Amino acid sequence: MRKSGPVEIVRPKDLREASSLVREGGMPLAGGTDVFVRVRKGLWDPPFLVYIGELPQLRGIEPREGGVEVGAAVTHAELLRSPLAAQLPVLRLALSTIGAPAIREMGTIGGNVANASPAGDSLIPLYLLEARVNLVGPEGERSLPMEDFILGPGKTALRPGEIIRSLWIPFPEGKPLPYFRKVGRRRALVIAVASLGALFWLRDGVVEKARLALGSVAPTVLRPREVEKALLGKPLDPGLLRPIADELSRLVNPISDIRATAAYRRRVAGNLLLDAAARLPRA
Amino acid sequence: MAEEILTAETRLVGKEAARLDAVAKVRGQARYADDLSFPGMLFVKAIRADRPHARIITLDLSWAERHPRVVCVVTPEDIPGENVVPVIYRDMPLLAVGVVRYVGEPLALIGAETPEAAEEAAALAQVTYEDLPAVLDPLEAIREGAPQVAVPEAAEAGNIFTHMVIRKGDAERGFAEADVIVEGEYRTGYQEHAYLEPQGVIAVPEEGGMAIYGTLQCPFYVQNAVAAVLGLPLSKVRVVPTATGGGFGGKEDVPSQLAAMAAVVAAKSGRPAKLVYDRAEDIISTSKRHPGVIRYRTGTKRDGTLVAVEIEFYYNAGAYQTLSSAVLWRALVHAPGPYRIPHVKVDAYSVATNTVPCGAFRGFGSPQVIFAHESQMDELAGRLGMDPLELRRKNALREGDETATGQVLTESVGLPQAIERAAELCGWKGLRREVDEFNRQKKFRRRGVGISTVMYGVGMGAKAPLLDKAGAYLKLEADGSVTVAVGNTEMGQGATTVLAQIAAETLGVKLSDVQLAPVDTSRVPDSGPTVASRTTTVAGAAVLDAARKLRARVEAAARGFFGVDEVEISDSQVWPSGEPGKAVPLSEVAHWMWVHNWDLGATGWAEGAPVDWDPDTGLGKAYFVYAYACHIAEVEVDLLTGEVHVRRFWAVHDSGRIVNPALARGQVAGGIAQGIGYALMEELKSEGGRIVAPSFTAYHIPTSMDVPAEFVIEFVEAPYSGGPYGAKGLGEVPLMAAHAAVANAVSQATGGRLREYPALPERVLELVEGA
Ligand SMILES: Cc1cc2nc3c(=O)[nH]c(=O)nc-3n(C[C@H](O)[C@H](O)[C@H](O)COP(=O)(O)OP(=O)(O)OC[C@H]3O[C@@H](n4cnc5c(N)ncnc54)[C@H](O)[C@@H]3O)c2cc1C
Repeated sequence: MRKSGPVEIVRPKDLREASSLVREGGMPLAGGTDVFVRVRKGLWDPPFLVYIGELPQLRGIEPREGGVEVGAAVTHAELLRSPLAAQLPVLRLALSTIGAPAIREMGTIGGNVANASPAGDSLIPLYLLEARVNLVGPEGERSLPMEDFILGPGKTALRPGEIIRSLWIPFPEGKPLPYFRKVGRRRALVIAVASLGALFWLRDGVVEKARLALGSVAPTVLRPREVEKALLGKPLDPGLLRPIADELSRLVNPISDIRATAAYRRRVAGNLLLDAAARLPRA
Repeated sequence: MAEEILTAETRLVGKEAARLDAVAKVRGQARYADDLSFPGMLFVKAIRADRPHARIITLDLSWAERHPRVVCVVTPEDIPGENVVPVIYRDMPLLAVGVVRYVGEPLALIGAETPEAAEEAAALAQVTYEDLPAVLDPLEAIREGAPQVAVPEAAEAGNIFTHMVIRKGDAERGFAEADVIVEGEYRTGYQEHAYLEPQGVIAVPEEGGMAIYGTLQCPFYVQNAVAAVLGLPLSKVRVVPTATGGGFGGKEDVPSQLAAMAAVVAAKSGRPAKLVYDRAEDIISTSKRHPGVIRYRTGTKRDGTLVAVEIEFYYNAGAYQTLSSAVLWRALVHAPGPYRIPHVKVDAYSVATNTVPCGAFRGFGSPQVIFAHESQMDELAGRLGMDPLELRRKNALREGDETATGQVLTESVGLPQAIERAAELCGWKGLRREVDEFNRQKKFRRRGVGISTVMYGVGMGAKAPLLDKAGAYLKLEADGSVTVAVGNTEMGQGATTVLAQIAAETLGVKLSDVQLAPVDTSRVPDSGPTVASRTTTVAGAAVLDAARKLRARVEAAARGFFGVDEVEISDSQVWPSGEPGKAVPLSEVAHWMWVHNWDLGATGWAEGAPVDWDPDTGLGKAYFVYAYACHIAEVEVDLLTGEVHVRRFWAVHDSGRIVNPALARGQVAGGIAQGIGYALMEELKSEGGRIVAPSFTAYHIPTSMDVPAEFVIEFVEAPYSGGPYGAKGLGEVPLMAAHAAVANAVSQATGGRLREYPALPERVLELVEGA
């Protein structure tokens, strides 16, 4: 049932005021690409919205020693246009599959993270790069690794009054090979049915280190550490990786929904590892 | 039509004129249904059934009535005329009485001061039901003992609304003579029109009658429906289509239902009443393409000559007849495909179920059976070890051949040329080699090339020839400009531009001097419904007729004006023959005519050429002429995920003379996109008779990324002597051909055989793994 009557939007002057308004029960509003859809459908019914999309403290893309700090209200498109994104190819690959140009211009990285969807596309590179979520709230600031921040579908570690201030994205060591692939029912403007992102560090033609992250195959984005380990010392040869791909299929924990069955998601999760191996250079 | 008109040099016909409505649309000045507002206007909301099949025990509207902003509540007793939405039959009530037959069926109406109030009040309605057993699947609905859904007077037997046949030759003997026989069952689901502008109308009471404004294809249908529910003579109802943001058949019969609902609220309250659907209400309650269960058996000689086909198919019509019998008839005639087949047996059924009524959608029942006949052709080619293009080339209808209904094609059969041209454009043999080479090199990707050939009967055909007529009125203004009045609607397809081109060409005036009058059923001639790819052909012929009469009169006047025996007119200039130096602007002659009391108006009339049909055998002249197409698609399938990408596409059409190539290419490109959606991704799920997730988040149509980067579109023009300047219909054909080419390409790439739409990644992965 659509909500009738407008929802009030409050514009705080700074982060402090934003935080206290959120504390009072207001819902943060950044690009609104999730909020407006759900409020209109009546799935969310916040007493009022707190517009944080233009707070300067949330808008920066700041290179620092060993990484980059990205303000929560930076849009996907801004991040894609920034020269720093060139240094994080796996982030670029993932962000460029979000929605369509209009959605990327409106939607923010903080909104995608706070939304905590297992299909959130920016989450995959953030897991892979072992990003941290910087929070600000009534009790001051704190910082959590992505995996500790996201607790379940739509569930985060945000405390009352807390807002995501920024994301700390460390540059990976060396030059890992990046992979990202999102499988959906069409080629754009679509929610992932299953997705895999990966970073592979190769040495002498075999995997020296690997990180994998999967979307839409478990309640949260998944880092299959057993599989990452199993890949060590193996060449990126799809012919040899079938057993590991099968292991990956077993490990994931998908559901059946309107977009696909669990069986299909399971199958594709493993297959995407073979796809990565087939597409990436072997050395 | 005189031979010379087919070969005559043309000034405007065949040229790429810009659309007359382009500027207003680009500037945002075009006014769509929801843009209109009238003083004192109420907002209408329907209270809808949430059960697929139930007896209505109580309907309590007292809480809704007490809502402070509600002005009126309408129940069946408030309908001043008949409680019916008249389409072909009269089985569908405007508001349900006693029983509801599908989820979403309207029960009562609210008229309120704001849309929000109308919605709130509708939610306050209290309905109690006694559930009845529901049947949702057509095959179950025809079983012995199935719950009765169909209103008995509208059905032939039980839940079978309509059963139609073709019996040509002797199918049994045909199969006995066949060397190779293939057999298969094919299934297709709903397809949603996904027009940009949802349904919407406004009813405005006016002296003694009702005016209807709205987004719609068939103003004369709406006029008829509103007159029926209000109990008014047709002369007291006028219908004015607003700028219409797409129809695709979805605005053929459905606007009658909306207009009738708005009209009864307007009549009861005495105030204008607006009814505009949001996308969810539109998806839940309006017509869609019929889902089908389709069985084919096809036999050939060893050399590929088709000898027999036996077809049986069931379309899920939904709870009421609406247009299903007409849809079924087109499906019946098109089921055997564009081939010479001596022995044909077809049984077509439309079946009532407790689901939303299906209706018209571009192709009108034919895409489902085309999926099947084109799959059969490829399966045969596989079994024969024959190139699928060669098999079609061998069996394609040519001039002088007999169709599956025994109609001899005496003219305008461009199918063989279309096949040859498509093969040439894509470099068929080389393309197939290229694909094989790619497939040898890639481990996880496979490409495939698919072909389809189709025919399309232009116009309403032998089941409804009474609708294949058109009137037109042309008026030369005193300043030399021209007004054209017809009753067809511009819904984005470019009809007004094409009709203006025909008028300007024939009269000898500049295109910019021609204006189409706004459609208003009280002021324009009845030119029939804007459906069945008929507007250019039939309304165009009426415009041509009027323009010729008017031109003859202008020439007569100009002879007097110049005092000569012969004059010429072109490009809004008039001169005595052989003396172009004496040319004067047409405006001078027009003014002279006005001063000397000449009649400056002319009416035109056109009828489709005679058709006939024997319902017992299905034989006869089904349509007055056919359009043809050959499509070729190249796809790439990801063997790891089942995702399909359409890489390249070639489309060649014979729609007779093409009046405006730019608009025609637009029609083809749009149809290809819709066909790709139908074959690959469009799926509307329902559970227990309820459509789940009625939104474009769940129902995917192709984006610009899902259509190929390379689109090659060409026309081979086999002129039709009965069409204006040799034109035939085009609108529906591209969609009809496109999906089948994509489906065949997917099958070829996977090595499996796709038998169910849509080819979603999951289904394709099963094909890959099963192959
Ligand atoms: C058509 C369409 C297509 C889409 N396609 C994709 C897609 O392909 N991939 C994908 O991942 N997503 C997609 N989305 C979802 C959405 O665009 C993204 O999740 C986006 O990043 C959300 O950002 P936003 O700024 O619009 O968030 P909002 O809608 O403004 O907020 C989303 C949620 O986050 C909270 N929030 C926002 N900022 C903060 C903050 N700084 N601190 C704490 N909480 C905060 C809000 O309170 C709300 O709960 C799509 C959405 C639409 C409408």
